[in-house]
Parts: sequence; C-alpha cells; structure tokens
Amino acid sequence: MECRTELTFNPKPSTIMHLDLNSCFATIEQQANPHLRGKPIAVAAYSTLLGCIVAPSVEAKTYGVKVGMRVKEGKFLCPSLIVLPPDPWKYRNVHLGLRKILGDYTDKFYPKSIDEFVLNLEGYPAYEKGMFNVGLKIKQRIKKEIGEWITVSIGIAPNRFLAKTAAGLHKPDGLDEINKENFKDIYASLALTGLCGIKIRNAARLNSMGIYTVLDFYEAPYWKLKSAFESILGYYWYLRLRGREVDDVIFARRSYGNSFALPKPLTSVEELSPVLSKLVEKTGKRLRRAGYKIRGVHLAISYRDGNFWHRGVTTPKVLFDSRDIYKIAFRLLNRSPYKGSVRELAVSVFNLLGEPSLQLELFDDLEKKERIVKAVDAVNERWGDFVITPARMMETKDVVIDRIAFGGVKELEEFTYR
Amino acid sequence: MIEKLSLPVSVGITFDHSKRKVVPKWILWEGKLYPVEKVGLHHTYREGRTLFHVFSVASKTLFFRLVLNTDTLYWRLEEISDGMPD
Repeated sequence: MECRTELTFNPKPSTIMHLDLNSCFATIEQQANPHLRGKPIAVAAYSTLLGCIVAPSVEAKTYGVKVGMRVKEGKFLCPSLIVLPPDPWKYRNVHLGLRKILGDYTDKFYPKSIDEFVLNLEGYPAYEKGMFNVGLKIKQRIKKEIGEWITVSIGIAPNRFLAKTAAGLHKPDGLDEINKENFKDIYASLALTGLCGIKIRNAARLNSMGIYTVLDFYEAPYWKLKSAFESILGYYWYLRLRGREVDDVIFARRSYGNSFALPKPLTSVEELSPVLSKLVEKTGKRLRRAGYKIRGVHLAISYRDGNFWHRGVTTPKVLFDSRDIYKIAFRLLNRSPYKGSVRELAVSVFNLLGEPSLQLELFDDLEKKERIVKAVDAVNERWGDFVITPARMMETKDVVIDRIAFGGVKELEEFTYR
Repeated sequence: MIEKLSLPVSVGITFDHSKRKVVPKWILWEGKLYPVEKVGLHHTYREGRTLFHVFSVASKTLFFRLVLNTDTLYWRLEEISDGMPD
C-alpha cells in the first residue's frame, strides 16, 4: 500500500516583499549625474580596459553588457559605453535612504545586500492597506525622497524565495506577486535555470531525474528531489516551490577579511608585503571596531597563471594587534610554493572571540599593547584611516581602495551602526 | 569625459527652512559662472571625524561634484564631466 501526503501550495496570503534596486550602482550614478541618464554606462572596479564591470546600466544591458565582463568586452559590444569607477559612499547613502523609507512600514526588514531588501509585513498596519498599494507607495517615496531616476523591482509572495522570483519577473520597475492563484502560470513561464539557486550543475541534477521545467520541478515528489540533490536541499526546494518559508535564516559573522585584485603584476614577497600590510591593517581595524579578537589567520593567493594557493592557521594566542596578524600572514605568504605573478591577495581572520580576557604572558605586556593599539585606533578614527600606519605600508596610498562587497551584507553593519 | 580634480571652488547656495534643504545655485569656476540646473544627489561621508557633504549637480552642459568640508566650510570641486564617453 502506498502512503502519499502531498503538500499543497501555501494558502497563506502574501506578506513578504522583496525589493531590488535596478542596476544599483549604475542607476545611482545616473541619478547623481543627469547628463548620464538614458546613456549606456557601466560602473567598473577599474575603468582601465581590463577592469571588471560590476554594474551596467539598463541601457548598457540592451547592448549585451553584463556584470563580470571586462571593460574592453563592454566597449566592444557598446563603443559609446561610459565607464565610471565605483563610489561606495554614494551607494551606501542611497542604501541608508532606502532603509529609512522601509522602516516606516515594518521593523521586520532585512537588507540582503546593498541593493536588496526583504520585508515582512505580517501583523503590521501597512499590511491592511494591501501589499500592492504598499509597493506602489514605496516606489513613489523612493522617487521623491531619494531620486526620480531610481527604480526598484518589487516582488510579493508568501515566502522569501518566491518574492525574489517575483521581483525578477519584470525589470526594471516591476511589481509582481506570486500566490496560490497564479503560481502555476508563472512557473510555466520560467526556465529552470532562471530560478535563483539553480544553475547548470543543479539543472543537470534535476535533468537526471527527468525534471526539465519549473513545473516538473514543482510537481516532482519529495523522494525525487531528495535523490536529485542527495541532501537536505531537496527538501528545501520542495518547500520553497510550495511557498513555504525556509530562507528566513540569518547567519552570524564568522570571519573578517579584505582582498585586493592587483592592478599590476607583483611577484616577490618584498613587493607584496606592503599590500599585505594594508589588507591586514584594514581587517584589524574592522575587527577591533566590532569588539572582536581572533585566533586564526588565513591567506589566499590567486596567480595570474590560474594557480590558487591558500592556507589558514589557528593561533595558540588570542590576537588583536594588526602587527601580530601581519606576522602570521607574512609567514603564510612565504609558504606559498608558487612564485608567479599574483593577481589577487586575500587576508581573513577567523575564530572570532567577543572580548575575551587576555591570558597574561611572561615576556609580553599585553595590557600595554592593547592600550597602544586602542590609542592608534582612536587617532585613526579621529583624523581618518591610515593616519598612523606601519612604515612598510608606505607607497600603498591608493592600494586597497574602499569597496562594497558583492552579495554580502556583513560589511553594512559597519556603517549602519556608526 | 570625466576629469578628476581637487580644486577650491566658489559655490552659491540657498537654504529653504520650510523644506529644510540646502541647494547649490551657482558655481564660479575658472572665471566662469555656471548656474546649477539640477541637483542629482546629495550624500555624505566621513574622514576621521570630519563630515563631508557631496553635491552632485549639473549645469546645462556640465556635471560637477562639489564637496563641502564641514570643519572648514570650504568647497572643493572634485570632478567635472560632460556626460560623453572618453
């Protein structure tokens, strides 16, 4: 006898809203400079030909310019492409403006990245006005309070995943809902790889179980998805596609790190150590500002010939001073077996400890060291970053410039709670 | 074309108390007066404790990035652009 319990689509009304700022950095640049509006522009990590495009404008996208392309590829597709360097504080200010607006509707709003927010309006007075009306009102307020060129796509659904999917249905400036009434029609219009989280490998897994469309995916029984993913992920997808919530998880910070893609090829340890020092200084400052100490250092090196090497060490002592972190990172740098030209250097620290009491040492006066580090941090806080720096950091003035992390929101905590 | 600069500049502003808004009205740069047609964006950042206000403004033909140092109340011109590719 076969026992079947089919889980239906979530009958709960849509209370989740996903808001996505269209072509974020490029749109903000067009907002700032009205002479760029309606023109194909791209914000790139560097405006040189080998720089990586991080945000093409809506107009540039029509020429086929995409995120991740080199500037020269973008210019090849669109010779009139205007390339701009990133201006992180501009984008952070717009992010803060969005936070201010969204906070008027619910205090359950979660930034997913610099340009994406999730709102839960369940139980809030705004919900009574209707999710669509709230979406329209938010769009109006963004235009009035932040800038008339800024557009957002809004998706509404019973869970986060479908709200994000709905936000992607019409770009730019969309407002769509996926609910128990229309979900099958919308699934029928989507490609399997159009779902967030399903790319070629996952699509191949699903294909191997006879799942070729989003509707197949939805209609597949749980055991099939479990076999396809060979993990708990099959269960999560089974729930997601039925409008059930599985993505309302906030992961705690477990590390701090900084990386830098070198604009010119550096090979020797002597050439790399000033860059390493600056990365460590940046990481150390952020770490101490958040009130942490650490017991682990990690170094990752990408080489221009495609080689990649990384190594992490857990330290016996609790560390907080950038000079100590640097010593370990420098030792790791020397351990790399490759001696080629370096493309990217990344330092991170892990095993975060929230202000533990320091184990006193026989030869090192840790309390004194902590007071010195705090004094240096206070001077840098008052007069600007890198006013006091290690001498080895000389000649790195424009190296490791301010950046906004892709996809993550962890760095946002550092300026939203200033 | 975009040109990065860092030059002192004269800026005329108004403050509207009812809207609680400061708006740059004109820029005097290299002996030429540029009336501000539009303020695209206003944002702030800090260097140390010093707060800087950045006004991204446009005249009829040019874009200007104006930065006000709130410690000294001095204005600097940090960027001009004609909105055309390089």
